[in-house]
Amino acid sequence: MATAPQDVPPPLKDIPTAKEKKYDRQLRLWGASGQVALEETHILLVNSGPGVTGVETLKNLVLPGVGHFTILDSAVVSEADLGVNFFLEDASLGKFRAAETVRLLMELNPGVEGHAITEPLETFITQDNVFAPYSLILAAAPIDPTILAQIQSQARTLQIPTFYFHCVGYFSCFSVLLPPAFPIVDTHPDPTATTDLRLLAPWPALMQFTKEKTGGLEEGKLNAQDKAHIPWVCLLLHYLEQWKEQHDGKLPASYAEKTEFRKLVRSGDPHEENWDEACAAVLKSLNPPTPSSSVREILEAPEARDINTTTPAFWLIANAVQHFYTEHKQLPLPGAVPDMKAQSADYIKLQNIYKSKAREDAAEVLAHVRKLEQSIDRSPDLAVEDKEVENFCKGAAHIHLVRGRPFQIAQAGEAIMFGDRAKAMAMELTMPESLIGLYIAFLAWDTFVATHSSPAHEAGGQALKVPGSGEDWEADTEKVTGIAHTVVDNLIKEAGTLIEDPEYAELKQKVSEFVQELVRAGGGELHNIASLTGGLVAQEVIKAVTRQYVPVDNWCGFDGVGSRTGVLRL
Amino acid sequence: MQRRDRDSGILQSLGKPLTKRVKESRVLLVGAGGIGCEVLKNLVCCGFGTLPQAQHGLNGATAETQSGHTAVMPRQPGIVVIDLDTIDLSNLNRQFLFRKQHIKKPKAFVAKETASQFNPSVNIEAHHASVFDRQYNVEFFEGFDLVFNALDNLAARRHVNKMCLAADVPLIESGTTGFNGQVQAIKKGVTECYDCNPKPVQKSFPICTIRSTPSQPIHCIVWARSYLFPELFGTSEEDSTDVGVTEADSAEEVAKLKVEAEALKNVRRMMGKSEFAQEVFDKVFHDDIERLRSMSEMWQSRKPPQSLRYDALKAEIDADIIKHGQALATRDQTTWSLHDNLAVLCYSLDVLSSRAQTGEPVIEFDKDDKDTLDFVASAANLRSHVFGIPLHSEWEIKQMAGNIIPAIATSNALTASLCVMEAFKIMRSQAQAQNGLSKPNANNNHPTTTQSSMIGKPEPTLGGAKMVFLNSRSTERMVTTQGLVPPRPDCPVCSPVYAKLAVSANTNATLQDLVLLLQQRVGYDEFSITTDAGVIYDPDLEDNLPKQLTEYASAAQGNSFVTVTDESDLPKVDLVLSMMVQSTTDGADSLQVIPEQISLPLKPQKAPEVDGDLDGDADPEPVLLPNAGAKRKRDAEEEVEGAKKRAKAGKAEVLEVDDDGVITLDDD
Repeated sequence: MATAPQDVPPPLKDIPTAKEKKYDRQLRLWGASGQVALEETHILLVNSGPGVTGVETLKNLVLPGVGHFTILDSAVVSEADLGVNFFLEDASLGKFRAAETVRLLMELNPGVEGHAITEPLETFITQDNVFAPYSLILAAAPIDPTILAQIQSQARTLQIPTFYFHCVGYFSCFSVLLPPAFPIVDTHPDPTATTDLRLLAPWPALMQFTKEKTGGLEEGKLNAQDKAHIPWVCLLLHYLEQWKEQHDGKLPASYAEKTEFRKLVRSGDPHEENWDEACAAVLKSLNPPTPSSSVREILEAPEARDINTTTPAFWLIANAVQHFYTEHKQLPLPGAVPDMKAQSADYIKLQNIYKSKAREDAAEVLAHVRKLEQSIDRSPDLAVEDKEVENFCKGAAHIHLVRGRPFQIAQAGEAIMFGDRAKAMAMELTMPESLIGLYIAFLAWDTFVATHSSPAHEAGGQALKVPGSGEDWEADTEKVTGIAHTVVDNLIKEAGTLIEDPEYAELKQKVSEFVQELVRAGGGELHNIASLTGGLVAQEVIKAVTRQYVPVDNWCGFDGVGSRTGVLRL
Repeated sequence: MQRRDRDSGILQSLGKPLTKRVKESRVLLVGAGGIGCEVLKNLVCCGFGTLPQAQHGLNGATAETQSGHTAVMPRQPGIVVIDLDTIDLSNLNRQFLFRKQHIKKPKAFVAKETASQFNPSVNIEAHHASVFDRQYNVEFFEGFDLVFNALDNLAARRHVNKMCLAADVPLIESGTTGFNGQVQAIKKGVTECYDCNPKPVQKSFPICTIRSTPSQPIHCIVWARSYLFPELFGTSEEDSTDVGVTEADSAEEVAKLKVEAEALKNVRRMMGKSEFAQEVFDKVFHDDIERLRSMSEMWQSRKPPQSLRYDALKAEIDADIIKHGQALATRDQTTWSLHDNLAVLCYSLDVLSSRAQTGEPVIEFDKDDKDTLDFVASAANLRSHVFGIPLHSEWEIKQMAGNIIPAIATSNALTASLCVMEAFKIMRSQAQAQNGLSKPNANNNHPTTTQSSMIGKPEPTLGGAKMVFLNSRSTERMVTTQGLVPPRPDCPVCSPVYAKLAVSANTNATLQDLVLLLQQRVGYDEFSITTDAGVIYDPDLEDNLPKQLTEYASAAQGNSFVTVTDESDLPKVDLVLSMMVQSTTDGADSLQVIPEQISLPLKPQKAPEVDGDLDGDADPEPVLLPNAGAKRKRDAEEEVEGAKKRAKAGKAEVLEVDDDGVITLDDD
């Protein structure tokens, strides 16, 4: 077997080796594609206060190698900043906070580009298309609510993921705006849940191989070595045939039947390791190849049905996979085979049988994609990549879709409405573990800011007054509590339900306690909570930009006293 | 200089008493890696230990004062960092106090330097040392209000756990792996300690599986890493902990393997000569394999191995084999062919040989040392081929060979922040204890007499500290908690009472003197005394009685503990004495047990009902439902285990060689 050396291609074209080494520990989580996505990202941080949650978030993104980041902040470094911001130094005093923080953050990773914008937010936002260069926006509270609304509206138009976060005392939270259709192919499900061997729907090549490996087994003609090396996949298929003969062609379906089937397998040999493996695999491997309802919902979504020249690749493929599913009553085969006791050559054969079936399935899906492209006259520049189709087919059973929704913004003089989420949120009010009380307390906190601040350039204007920051925090507490209780009452009314005492009194008490803690902190951050929130937000940013893992949808709160998080969909 | 007003945020959130306590605290941080860097930044930014010593003086009053031997010193506010490691390139994606120019420098020093830039007035003391060192004795640990563990290995975690129990200092234990993390507060007599739940020990493979009958990729990787590599490049007497002679091994085969290894040493002498690669190859992939093959009884139900010949394979490679191997070595995500593996092996042997001959007589395997990894990956694959086991890419082998645990900045930031949150809770409870009542005698802090039962008013354990779990991969339950659990009554590590044994440096005190002292002080009847080396005294072993105690103290590496076990029918709990050799203080006894009062409760009975009847050791916190809690914890542990499994490319068998257990989440 003479082999001339193959031409050696350059090392991983996307990630040069030194970089690979530096990022080794994270590449093992999100892979080269995730790293490339991160490096193509440009993050904008809109920072108007002295808080450092945004800076801590950036730190966690600069380290793993985000491409670009920009800090928009017109403030000048004060003594107070030096006391809280790790990424400022004594020499920064009197200089622009954005510029200084960018400089020190960039020291963390020479591969990352940082930029500072020191123009005031209110003039910056008036420029045309000002957010177009950015792929993700972070907005730190407190912020002028009318400007926040403008940011959100532009971000929705441009479909830029946007995070709005608070960090006050022991508490923090963030809201996420994702595009209205945010599909994820690479959800990283638990590997034990992803093995899909189609043992209940084998195809001819697999059955042929099984016959080769198990031929003579029942007659006792196999030698000990061959018998001990029958891959367990073949063993199960072999006994399934037996089972079908004994059960009118039916497969074991119920738990009881599967247990019975396991006994049948065991009767073949009491000791061999491959029989052990086969028995252990019975319960988790004998699953019908039907997708979950949430996957079917995605495949049947309007975006997948009504395709046009600009339909994103995901939906074109979803359409083709739906077509495949209608045709074959199963999803394309993922093609991976777990490790098992087998002769090396047999294992490789088995792998190839699964791989080639997976390739065939993917090819069929791809052919349909091409047909669709033709039928809608899609430009060749927009042609879906083969690899994307392959990937989709591999993960088809675990795709996920987030329907991004705008977050609520408290505006002066406007009542807070929950719309179609009112009923669900009113339910949350009655759940003891829910952090909806914290959500409402922060909403009331924002309402206070909205009603007590006025643009600095107006006569007598007082920029961004946060509750508890002045002399009379008791009065502020009372005000914010009043706002929060009104929000609770309006929510109950909007939902058209009724919550009675003592439950009603308890939930109001709970909201009051959150409010009291928030106001007591006077807008001040506790560093470790800011750092923690920076970790949570950065983690979600990575999910959003790599389009891997399932992101928070669309609010997450952290209660430092109880050391726990809670999520809500608003 | 008029310093910035850093208090505003902290003071408003923490309140005055806690802020004061935080500022005058002295804390120890063990480990300046992923979590350590983040903890240090948090401590510095939250003002830990920032009170200048001049304004200080209150805290010293609370130090242990039972004995004339314990120096009563005011505790100096500050942060002490201990780390043995130096900085590596693969640290920089998360250990944010380090930059590229710091590579190979000690982590402790650089961490101090960078963190001090934020606030030059913080008091950071950096130690580039092992926490096992003798200088870090019980007295050293007693000098802290709180200890943070930010370690990457089981042994050091267990050691610090024990030292904190002995010193009765609260410990915050933490770890991360990938998207998961965990924080656990530990306090002697109040909570479970790190060792209350047994940790799975590192799996040791039977030597014959590794050397003669491999059946899985990991067997070949362990062979290449722990046998072949050290035999060729390590110290010759290297014995590895992951391969051991077990009952499953036949003595005859083990003897033959010794001969085999001896022959390999002869091959090692050829290093540097042009035929070195061929000699190594033919020795391990031909001669040794043929010998194995000839033992037909071994291959009755196994497929016999197929030996390889260097010449035959090399003839089929139409290129300069070393250059070809060098090029292939950069393609670590493709699975190399048989010939590719030969080329990489030749290349790595070439590089390693010249390293060995130019000032590096001993090379150790390090997953981040690419030359050593090239060798292990190619040799493991060649062996896999010989035994008909699937081959793997170098990238995959690296993970299996190096026990690599994925690590990211976000998980460290989250876990470290949670550590500091728990620290606030513990310090708040300390602040209250300080105001309310005097600190209970350290040695009476036994499970049956928790502080809360003593004051008769239920108070949350450790100021409401919890066991905290992080799973940022999930969305619904990113940060969750479980109530702290009381100590396991029969835990061998935290159920004993800890005390100190002060021995004067120039004393002639003997073991006999100690036995007499213990009989008199504790009222023992029959008892035994054990050191790390084994039993030195029991009712039937009196040979050692004339030996001088200083001998035992100096024989021990690092910190020496002496365990006294009650051998009577109704035994008391063990007494663990940490030995301290002290220069003489005038008038003091040459041998002293500190504190003077030692009250040992009875050992818990085996029957669980009896345990349940013990009064006062139930956690007073009403939310704690032991069963639900245990279930939650198990779930969380399974999560963590699951994450580890995932991290190991789904190979269950690889999981078993990981040297760490469930809450020993790791980040180097």
